[in-house]
Amino acid sequence: MNHPLTHLCLASWLVAGSAMAQDVLPKAAPQDHPVLLSGATLHTVSDGVVEDGFLLFDGGKIQQVSAQDVSPPASTEVVDGTGLHVYPGFVLATSVLGLAEVGSVDMTLDKREAGDFTPEVRASIALNPDSWVIPVTRRNGVLTAGVVPSGGRICGRAAVIQLDGWTSEDLALVPDAGLVVQWPTVGPASGSRRRRGPSEDGSAAKEAIRELDQFFDAAEAYVDARRVDPSVATDLRFEALAPVLEGAQSVWISATSKTQIESAVRWAVERNLDLKIVGGRDAALCADLLSRHEVPIAITSAHRLPHRRDLSYASTYELPGLLEEAEVPWCLTMSYWSSSNARNLPYEAAACIAYGLPAEVALRSITLSAAEFLGVEDRLGSLEAGKDATLFLADGDPFEMTTRIVAAYIGGRRIVLEDKQTQLYDKYREKYRQLGLLPGGQDSSD
Amino acid sequence: MKSKPICSFPRFLPTGMVMVTSMLVATPSSAQQPDRGPHHSDPRWHALLHATLHSSPGEVIDDATVVVRNGVIVNVSAGAPPPNGARVWDCTGKVVTAGFVEAALGVEAPRSSEDAAGLHWNHERVTPQRSALDGPGVDADTRDALRELGFTVAAIYPEDGIFRGTSAVVALSDGTSAVAQEPASTLAHSAYQAIALERASWGSGAYPGSEMGAIAVVRQALSDAAWHRQRLGVHARHPRQHEPIEPAPALEALQQDVPLLFFTTNELQLLRCAKLAKEFERPAMFVGSGMEFRRLAAIQASNASLIVPLTFSEKPKVSSVAEADQVSLRDLMTWEQAPTNLRRLAAAGVPTAITTSGLDAREDFPERLRQAREHGLADRDALAMLTTVPAKMLGLERRLGVVRSGALAHLAVWDGPVFEEGTRLVDLWIGGRHHSINPDQDSSMLGTWSTSLPISAEEDLLAELEWTEASQIQIRSEEQEFKAHHVRTEEDRVNFLLDGNDFGVPGVLSFFAVIEDDELHGSVRHPDGCVHRWSAHRKEAEERLEDEDHAEGDHEVAAGATAVPEDYGVPLGAYGVRDEISARDLVVRGATVWTSGPRGIVEDGLLVVRDGKVAFAGPLEDAPSWEGLIEIDATGLHVTPGLIDCHSHTGISGSVNEGGQRVTAEVRIEDVINPDDVNWYRQLAGGLTAANQLHGSANAIGGQNCVVKLRWGCALPDEMRIADAMPGIKFALGENPKRVAANTERPEEYPQSRMGVETLIVDRLRAGQDYQEEWDRYQALGPAQQLRAMPPRRDLELEAMAEIVRGERLIHCHSYRQDEILMLCRVAQEFGFTIGTFQHVLEGYKVAEAIREASLGGSTFSDWWAYKFEVIDAIPHNAALMSDVGVITSINSDSSDFARRLNTEAAKAMKYGGMTPDKALALVTLNPAIQLGIEDRVGSLETGKDADFAIWSGSPLSYQSRCVATYIEGQEMFSLERHQESQQEASRERHRIIQKILARNDPEKSKRDGNEKPEETKRQGPVDARAEALWRAGMDPADTLPGECGCNDSLLHQWR
Repeated sequence: MNHPLTHLCLASWLVAGSAMAQDVLPKAAPQDHPVLLSGATLHTVSDGVVEDGFLLFDGGKIQQVSAQDVSPPASTEVVDGTGLHVYPGFVLATSVLGLAEVGSVDMTLDKREAGDFTPEVRASIALNPDSWVIPVTRRNGVLTAGVVPSGGRICGRAAVIQLDGWTSEDLALVPDAGLVVQWPTVGPASGSRRRRGPSEDGSAAKEAIRELDQFFDAAEAYVDARRVDPSVATDLRFEALAPVLEGAQSVWISATSKTQIESAVRWAVERNLDLKIVGGRDAALCADLLSRHEVPIAITSAHRLPHRRDLSYASTYELPGLLEEAEVPWCLTMSYWSSSNARNLPYEAAACIAYGLPAEVALRSITLSAAEFLGVEDRLGSLEAGKDATLFLADGDPFEMTTRIVAAYIGGRRIVLEDKQTQLYDKYREKYRQLGLLPGGQDSSD
Repeated sequence: MKSKPICSFPRFLPTGMVMVTSMLVATPSSAQQPDRGPHHSDPRWHALLHATLHSSPGEVIDDATVVVRNGVIVNVSAGAPPPNGARVWDCTGKVVTAGFVEAALGVEAPRSSEDAAGLHWNHERVTPQRSALDGPGVDADTRDALRELGFTVAAIYPEDGIFRGTSAVVALSDGTSAVAQEPASTLAHSAYQAIALERASWGSGAYPGSEMGAIAVVRQALSDAAWHRQRLGVHARHPRQHEPIEPAPALEALQQDVPLLFFTTNELQLLRCAKLAKEFERPAMFVGSGMEFRRLAAIQASNASLIVPLTFSEKPKVSSVAEADQVSLRDLMTWEQAPTNLRRLAAAGVPTAITTSGLDAREDFPERLRQAREHGLADRDALAMLTTVPAKMLGLERRLGVVRSGALAHLAVWDGPVFEEGTRLVDLWIGGRHHSINPDQDSSMLGTWSTSLPISAEEDLLAELEWTEASQIQIRSEEQEFKAHHVRTEEDRVNFLLDGNDFGVPGVLSFFAVIEDDELHGSVRHPDGCVHRWSAHRKEAEERLEDEDHAEGDHEVAAGATAVPEDYGVPLGAYGVRDEISARDLVVRGATVWTSGPRGIVEDGLLVVRDGKVAFAGPLEDAPSWEGLIEIDATGLHVTPGLIDCHSHTGISGSVNEGGQRVTAEVRIEDVINPDDVNWYRQLAGGLTAANQLHGSANAIGGQNCVVKLRWGCALPDEMRIADAMPGIKFALGENPKRVAANTERPEEYPQSRMGVETLIVDRLRAGQDYQEEWDRYQALGPAQQLRAMPPRRDLELEAMAEIVRGERLIHCHSYRQDEILMLCRVAQEFGFTIGTFQHVLEGYKVAEAIREASLGGSTFSDWWAYKFEVIDAIPHNAALMSDVGVITSINSDSSDFARRLNTEAAKAMKYGGMTPDKALALVTLNPAIQLGIEDRVGSLETGKDADFAIWSGSPLSYQSRCVATYIEGQEMFSLERHQESQQEASRERHRIIQKILARNDPEKSKRDGNEKPEETKRQGPVDARAEALWRAGMDPADTLPGECGCNDSLLHQWR
């Protein structure tokens, strides 16, 4: 059977129409038949662009990516992708999706636990699968995200989630993706921070790093003692640190200034940890160090003010290009203060293109590079056989505002591209039709 | 006693009399205390002879005779003999100047008790009725420190508050109280009223909490003072028709004839204060910050008289790469140029006095002055800045600052050219009384002495004594070199110790000698108690001369090292503009022209600019001739009108919110425009050319707005204003005003619900109506009746409310929920005025039909939501849906960052709601222009409008395009090429200055090299975990968060 695109749209509309608000809409059903996207332009990320290509997925996994027509099994749903573009789902490396709902209402936030050292807490535990923000985010093609706790010095453990599922367990692709550490301010405070932020002088930073070291030392001692004597009483904090000490789990250190990054790298190298950096405003100033130690770095936002008065207005857009040149493994992410506008991830990447970043690098920075940062590159980030069928179809370049995403799949499940916002839009169009202020007719749901 | 005084006492007097002159001797006066013992008598008649006299700056009389009698200079002449009977002071080789005048010295002064009558309601901060003479006056330490610098007179003022009180001019004579035992020490009782734009700290909740609030306080008080005077006049003319006027000492103290002295913390604040004084036609002077050079042209144009401190900015820390990276070129240049400030002010003809105030330590003053001189300040100007200029400012130019017959006898006697390094102040004459400051022998013994030291009973050590300072003696023999210890020089005696171990004798030897011209004679006590005579002779003066040569050499090196660039841009720092780019006639061809006007989007269009106006914008075939104009080939590029941001908090000094009261209609953003905010430049680089600077949303009725063009590099802050824009005011509904009121310490603070917000707004609009009627009744009276009638008080808050009711001031209302939006629509309709805009208006799509009827439209975000509960129903289709229903709609930034990409924010309306490209662009061009009442000037490219436009590399609605150039009225404000040049220049300058600092980075010196940080690095803010968390998460707490309306400061406070 051959479904033209209009069918897809209509189908999604029918589903959306059956409920009054997205957060009470059913989640997508598991893929129960093969799907062939036929005749679309495939942006594989890992292996260039396949014009007029064919992509077959089944059981939630991509089976084939081909320039030639493939002969699908009999039950295959063939989607005519002529004129459409297929992309791997965008990957947002850092967010608070599912952990935070309304920024100013504390009771809707679960991103911080009390205390300076809380490695034992896990973002994957507190994910709200019915968050209003999740469907809004994925409507722009962001289908996977890292979720990061942020309180204290050792904040807890990050998760990697897919943006659709009935339960928090359905969401969590990787419940324990990395240990999140906020690096103390080392060296001169930057830019406006000097005026506004806390003034940690050298001694405060030294003390903070010493405390961190003591904590890690104590954890090592605990692990050693437990190995020899299982009767040693349990300490959940140190248990949580064990895989990190073994190098089985990575440490995500948030560090922005040059001195912070340098200090964090030196510390992690000395302790033989698997380090990743989040933040990295000054990363270009220590690119050599980062590339020498192959430290992956997630840049939080191109859309922000330069953090020093003299920096070029374009410096935040130019930073990714400098890292690319210096062969630092980097990806582009967004601030995880709030994720209500995580949907704008593609536009962060697009803005860098205007300042010289090649378009394919920009695309990789929010797909495969981000998946690599999260350690899920074997499952996500590109259109390759064997990977999750987490992808979307668009009617053009997703970096352009006028482009519409017409269908999206997460692990082969076709997800609903409706949300609370589109429904409110439709609801109030109806109001104005009743008032005679808008002509009647069908809704355009985007 | 003195063996060789500089100003020798008459030989016929017993030296014992010397001390009498510096003791307190009463002047005949009714205030005089009765003597408690035998009467003292002082003829107070002196003649200084043979002085090199600087009678006024630039006027030198050699071999001058100055005759002083009863504290007044009675005669000044060259070579005249002293009058018989006068005490004669030989000033041969000495330089005499007028005593220096400190024009602004803060002193403690008590406040009136809270229940005193006639106080200002804000009696903590508004105390014009205070006098500097109410308190203890100049403390002895300060007095002595000033004297040592050559000051004899100071104008003192109460040192805290906004209106601080009146200043008195006092002589720095003895007696610790200004209400002195010496009545003559007070030379003037009200030299000026001291004013500073002091504000309460964040979180205190006190008013004013912002600079614009402080300005409003000053404006209202000056207005009240005039009103009070007027009322007194009416009452005096018609006492029987009116109630008696309550006495108002606070207002009465602000009388017209006392000049105002404004204390300013930076050059922009100085310009603001100057403007304020002009508004009330009050004579005014200004205490500067030392950074006036950054806005010299504007300060020159303001005709201000300044009192300037020698507070050079702190030497930037650049000794590590990381530190150096953090320092802005602006800070570097401020540091480098600060010592040129006085020279530049002098060259610009700005009347300038120097104050010692503001320094960490007054003893740094000579060193700072030396630096200023090294940077070109002429001695003559320096002397004027310390004498004649401050004297004139205090209205005492005939009595002070000059050494002329008739002037008060305030004199300084120096042992060399007055500002030269090494020159010492010898004596001061304060009101005709002699004060010995540095008795001569202190320096006269310095030099090299030859001696034979009896180091033991048997042995003498041939040695040289190198006496470098009063307390430093180095002893050099053929074999050893060692130091004397505990050198104490008292009058004409010296005591010191030698450690015998230095020359192989056990024990300590104690030396004593009397200094007799070129000889020392004394004794030494050996460890065994035996006393031996010793003596020393001064070596010939050759070595001293050598020293001087050496010193001069140093001076030259120093001068070379201090060479600083003569020219710099405005604003100071990176991207500053050096020359106005004046090409105002030009043509842009080949581009796709988005007119935002009736011609729509024109491919291969043409834009012709003449005299800064659009002469033509449209298709090539309709174009007039453009021969002779500068041509810009924009083939393949896009041109749009300059973008307009209908909600900006960029470039507002001293807080965006006046949070001290719930209604602050009296405060005005236009009072605190900051043209130096680098974000203006960054926004120009995003095609923005105009912005609506709004007050924050802390209060239901906020301050007045200011509509500006982004004239980065303009000379005067006011040039940014679009003067004919429709006046506006900020209102705020919902959570923000509720939260701020709830966070004050007053539990009953109003309003804490949406119900209360409505009530408060209606209440103040009614009050505005009543106020209007009161004035209408008064204005309706004939001139004769007006003379009889009590004039209404001008109330700046109600004046603004009345303007709203009259339809002359547009409300720009922070709003989210549909109910509150509807509420304000109904209130406005009831009062019969049109609302300007609903700002944010995230539920505007729910009541668009009401907005359309009641206002000039909605100004919203593209897609912000979920940051607080009241925006949980926000949808990105808001702009499109409101537009579809007929609401004029704009998209704004509310953020210095978002204002850099309003074009792509507008583009989101195509994605969400399907707007056409030209309509989407109009969201940030024509529509905000209409909402701000500037659509006849800007907002579209149509013939006759201002040539404000941006050129883009591709479609302005694509993230993949960038702005390549921005023009305001035909002037190029930004271009990629110029940006690159500026960046390179900034980088060169940075490294040059950093090198300069590194080259002379000796720690000893850096301690003295500056004490005041530049203003912008000194701002304080809440230090808390939330700010830290913001930073961690990639947000800049210094930037406003969209939707918080500059209120994230208060959010930071509230959140743990």
